[in-house]
Amino acid sequence: MAEEEKGEDIVSEFLHQNPHLAQWVESLRGHCETNKQWNARREFILRNMEAFPTIHPGHPSPSLDRLLSLSMVWTNHVFLGCQYPKPVMEKIMEMAEGVVVHEAPVRKTRDEIMGKGKRSASSGSEADGSQKKLKVGCSESESRSSTRPAGRAVASEAPKPGPPPQAVAEHQPFFNRLYKTVAWKLVSAGGFGPNLDHFDILRVCVEAAKASLSCTFVPLRDIPDLPAGRAQREGQVCELRCLTVYLGTGYGRDEDAARAMASKEALKIFQGRKVTVRICRRRFRGRDVEDLVLLDEQSRTSGLPPALSYPFQPEPATPSVS
Amino acid sequence: MGVPAFFRWLSRKYSSIIVHCVEERPKECNGVRIPIDTSKPNPNEVEFDNLYLDMNGIIHPCTHPEDKPAPKNEDEMMVAIFEYIDRLFNIVRPRRVLYMAIDGVAPRAKMNQQRSRRFRASKEGVELSEEKQRMREEVIQRGGYLPPEEIKERFDSNCITPGTEFMDNLAKCLRYYVADRLSNDPGWRNITVILSDASVPGEGEHKIMDYIRRQRAQPNHDPNTHHCLCGADADLIMLGLATHEPNFTIIREEFKPNKPRPCSLCGQVGHEIKECQGVAREKQGEHDQFADSLPASEQEFIFIRLSVLREYLERELTMASLPFPFDFERSVDDWVFMCFFVGNDFLPHLPSLEIREGAIDRLVNIYKDVVHKTGGYLTESGFVNLERVELIMQAVGVAEDNIFKKRKDDEESFKRRMKEKKKRMKAEQRPSFLPSGQFAPHALGGRDRPQAIQNARHAAYDMRMQGRDQRNMDAAQSLKAMMRNGNGNQSPAGPSNALDSRGVKRKADDSDSEPEPEDNVRLWEEGWKQRYYKTKFDVDVTDDAFRRKVVKSYVEGLCWVLRYYYQGCASWKWYFPFHYAPFASDFKDIKDMFTEFEVGTKPFKPLEQLMGVFPAASGNFLPESWRALMTDPDSSIIDFYPDDFAIDLNGKKYAWQGVALLPFVDERRLRAALEGVYPDLSPEETKRNSLGSDVLFVGKSHPLCDFIQELYTTGSSEGTEMPPELCHGIQGTLNLDEDPILPDKPVESPVPLLRDLTQNQAIGIQFKDPQYEEGFVFKAVILPEAKIPAKVLKPGDWEKSSNGPWRPQLGFNPNRQQAHLDQSAFRTLGHAMNRDRDRQRGGGQYSNTPPPGNYHQGNYRPPHGGHAQMYPYPRQQGPLRGAPPAFHPQQYPRQQYGHQGWNRAMQSQAGAYQHNQQRGHGGPGNYQQRHSRQEDHRGPQGYNSGRSYPLPPPARRYNWN
Repeated sequence: MAEEEKGEDIVSEFLHQNPHLAQWVESLRGHCETNKQWNARREFILRNMEAFPTIHPGHPSPSLDRLLSLSMVWTNHVFLGCQYPKPVMEKIMEMAEGVVVHEAPVRKTRDEIMGKGKRSASSGSEADGSQKKLKVGCSESESRSSTRPAGRAVASEAPKPGPPPQAVAEHQPFFNRLYKTVAWKLVSAGGFGPNLDHFDILRVCVEAAKASLSCTFVPLRDIPDLPAGRAQREGQVCELRCLTVYLGTGYGRDEDAARAMASKEALKIFQGRKVTVRICRRRFRGRDVEDLVLLDEQSRTSGLPPALSYPFQPEPATPSVS
Repeated sequence: MGVPAFFRWLSRKYSSIIVHCVEERPKECNGVRIPIDTSKPNPNEVEFDNLYLDMNGIIHPCTHPEDKPAPKNEDEMMVAIFEYIDRLFNIVRPRRVLYMAIDGVAPRAKMNQQRSRRFRASKEGVELSEEKQRMREEVIQRGGYLPPEEIKERFDSNCITPGTEFMDNLAKCLRYYVADRLSNDPGWRNITVILSDASVPGEGEHKIMDYIRRQRAQPNHDPNTHHCLCGADADLIMLGLATHEPNFTIIREEFKPNKPRPCSLCGQVGHEIKECQGVAREKQGEHDQFADSLPASEQEFIFIRLSVLREYLERELTMASLPFPFDFERSVDDWVFMCFFVGNDFLPHLPSLEIREGAIDRLVNIYKDVVHKTGGYLTESGFVNLERVELIMQAVGVAEDNIFKKRKDDEESFKRRMKEKKKRMKAEQRPSFLPSGQFAPHALGGRDRPQAIQNARHAAYDMRMQGRDQRNMDAAQSLKAMMRNGNGNQSPAGPSNALDSRGVKRKADDSDSEPEPEDNVRLWEEGWKQRYYKTKFDVDVTDDAFRRKVVKSYVEGLCWVLRYYYQGCASWKWYFPFHYAPFASDFKDIKDMFTEFEVGTKPFKPLEQLMGVFPAASGNFLPESWRALMTDPDSSIIDFYPDDFAIDLNGKKYAWQGVALLPFVDERRLRAALEGVYPDLSPEETKRNSLGSDVLFVGKSHPLCDFIQELYTTGSSEGTEMPPELCHGIQGTLNLDEDPILPDKPVESPVPLLRDLTQNQAIGIQFKDPQYEEGFVFKAVILPEAKIPAKVLKPGDWEKSSNGPWRPQLGFNPNRQQAHLDQSAFRTLGHAMNRDRDRQRGGGQYSNTPPPGNYHQGNYRPPHGGHAQMYPYPRQQGPLRGAPPAFHPQQYPRQQYGHQGWNRAMQSQAGAYQHNQQRGHGGPGNYQQRHSRQEDHRGPQGYNSGRSYPLPPPARRYNWN
């Protein structure tokens, strides 16, 4: 939010300094544009004006139309969800650098809708799983661009790291499957209880769903944001993620114990009637970030422990994977 | 109107408006086809004066039919179109005018819809051909047989847009067709034909309306002209009502649900492309004589009598105790206006008004209240009184909350019912009880040997108790878990394997319980308005200015649409610039939101319009440099042409039902960009890009012919008024055609399949509708000398005692000649029937079976169902074989006989039609096969219980225009 306001500040300051432009640029506004769209597009236009030296404010010209057209391509992409041929997309992505849009709407393109239909028809559990695995393997920014070529996420969120907006929808089906797998597994193990090898159960289920668990270990003393006055300073903390989605955190004397505790916490989520992937705010290295979190229907988002890893940074995070 | 549900709703509620067409079939004698003489009286027992064809409703099904294999090339398409027109002409048999209107450039307001259709069609086309290719390979790999792939190019239905070569060619072909029929067909001899091709701006049906409007505003118009308009769009009904002509009938194809569609791969019926096996074709009939006639392949036609609809409406809308005399004509206009709220081609419909939920009835009730309160009507001759509209909207707005809640409830209970049904079906497949414990079934060949049963009595008791506790529901589950446990203990790799295999199995189940598309708006929950504006428009609810903007545009839209229907296109430029409608409750203070439209706006040129509605993938219909504007990254209009676009399912299930979020076209930028490429047009393209004129044709024997010939010989360059007395009072301005069709000048056939016309008898000349001064208002009234047709509906105060039983009218003729039997027929009957039939209860009904030799496989006739219901007492007697054809003036099965009176058909056709429309849920619709060979099938539950149609697939959508 702050960054967006900052962007707006720059624009209004710029227009304040160049009052002759202010009126002109306002004349370019489309009749049905919302304030939000127009502010973004205006910034896009103003930032790229210099690249079109033949534009003379106040005079219609082909080069102005070209800039307008590209600005529309960009807003159509960001706000309506349109996709354009690759060269066009690359061009506008470049031009849009630095323009911040907060909370761009999430849209599903026709191809995505139709593609989805096809996959479920041909029971592509294989394709499904391998895709997911691939995503775990490579850094998030790469996998994002693989799902949405030159995605709008890149443009609108590059300055602010966070999970891509479509991630929730993307991951939910997987966790629905995982939910069932876990439920069956627990039934066969005689129900959820203290005497289980929680990590093994979770690992087996995740692997059966063709994904893998990632564990991050951090010594307790290295964690900032701990409530003051805690007696213990020794021991390990483990964080579990699957497909970048946070499952649980656990503490123990050593890594194994921490991992077992984290797994137990994670399995608790699966005791509800369903699990949901959500974007939640939580602390990470002393700042607030948006994280993908798996929740059951009751759990509150406020009580989340601070994150130990954060897979949504522009630079690939390197969690120690066990 | 883009509301398929509208016609269904209308024909269900007002069932008597439907009359089935009687069609004389061409006879064949020694292999020679005898053409039908359409100058003979109309077998429908009504004479029509004018027939109007909304050609796009003909072009689409003829060029890419859904129920039969597509024509191979353009020539075949043209021939199919000709045949279709011939067929319609034979049914309707107009006596004065045949008006053919092809969609020309449409008003800007329509462009968004056109864009959306064409962008989708282009993608669907590509997907279909990919699917075809994939399946073809698969089938051939499996060793299946497929007819050789045609070399033809994929027909891009997008070429049915004004400005393309195809449309130009079509216009040429139609000219040839008209000249040919005028010269050779006796039924056409005295007809005036007007052809308005795609070069004349305006949507087809609106060009027709314009013609009617302008004719009836001039003094020579015959107020009792009987109009017949052909087209399937529901808005034709509105348009027809809007003319206030007392005799107006619409003809359209009868919609039959679940018509078999041929597989697009092998061309056979009975499966879809996904299940194509590539099996060789089966013989149709004993000697394959029915090979070309798919069962029920011929669409039947129905008439929709607007005069009857007006009767219905009069009953519904009439308000007693008004402070002023009730004017039915005004209330019809208001009704038409309110139907626009529910859906039209130019505006998205209001979220709270859904036709299936009785939106129109709700509106009518509110409307009556408002008229009482405000003392006046909503509209006058196409102009809207916004103050009163606001009252209506506010009344809907009050109910909005409840409407959404109820919608959700209905949806939920529907889902629940379906779920329960599914559960029932599933339960039937599974054993209801699985023994547990030591009795549990074990897989054969497992490691554990079968062991002797111990303590059987106790085990049985346990199982019984378990059953009593209703825990055996979980029996299957625990059984599975147990078996897996047994495995897991023995081999460490076991569990994951077992899980794995189960994982796959569950997967199949998951696919049908797939999470529904998330609905972020949740209209049924508190705060729906905020969420709606946030998700649909991406604005906060506090952004009042924006909301007002949407409402203002919508109000303008309502005014524009009504004006369009009653006065013609008010502005070629206006359009609704959003993808969604506001809520009814947002219509506050709308009185001053609309003043007037910009005057003097001009339509796009055809090629300009193509640039506005085509995706880049259809660019091949455009000149090269124009096409480049659609793909070049440096193009100044590149933003109009996304590759892929978002679809908001908006609560619907399928992509094609959703809202396509396509960007709107900036007219100024489009024109500016095209300025640069205009010089690249070839002369031929320039001609295609110009606006053309209607053309009028008459045959040599028509009184107007000499007059026109005279014009050509004198070669007058200015327009000449048409003398109204020569042509049934029709007026207009005639201008010489540049390349006219003249008598005795041969007409070259543009279709190689057809002969050149050497003995041409027709003459053609440019025709222009009568012009009126600017600001002229076409009055929406019944003309003074018009005679209102006789009533058809049963009067509300009908008294049986004094008038006898009510006899519903079946066709157009109230005193229709009923079928009667001569002596020989009675003899035949007496021979075939029980003589003492009078003693039997119920009515004697002879047979449902058609005469032998009549190929009836799958040709569903609604009255059969009616029979079975009406005669619950089956009687075993021989069917009446070989009924003499003279027996029925109509086709056989439609006529019904009760023994209480020969000439009393017991159910109106309309009722039968309704029966056709009322269908239950589910139920495979393949009753046809049974029907064919079953001779005596009158069991009480024969047809009526087993056969229920599933709801018609919503997939029936041609993209007119």
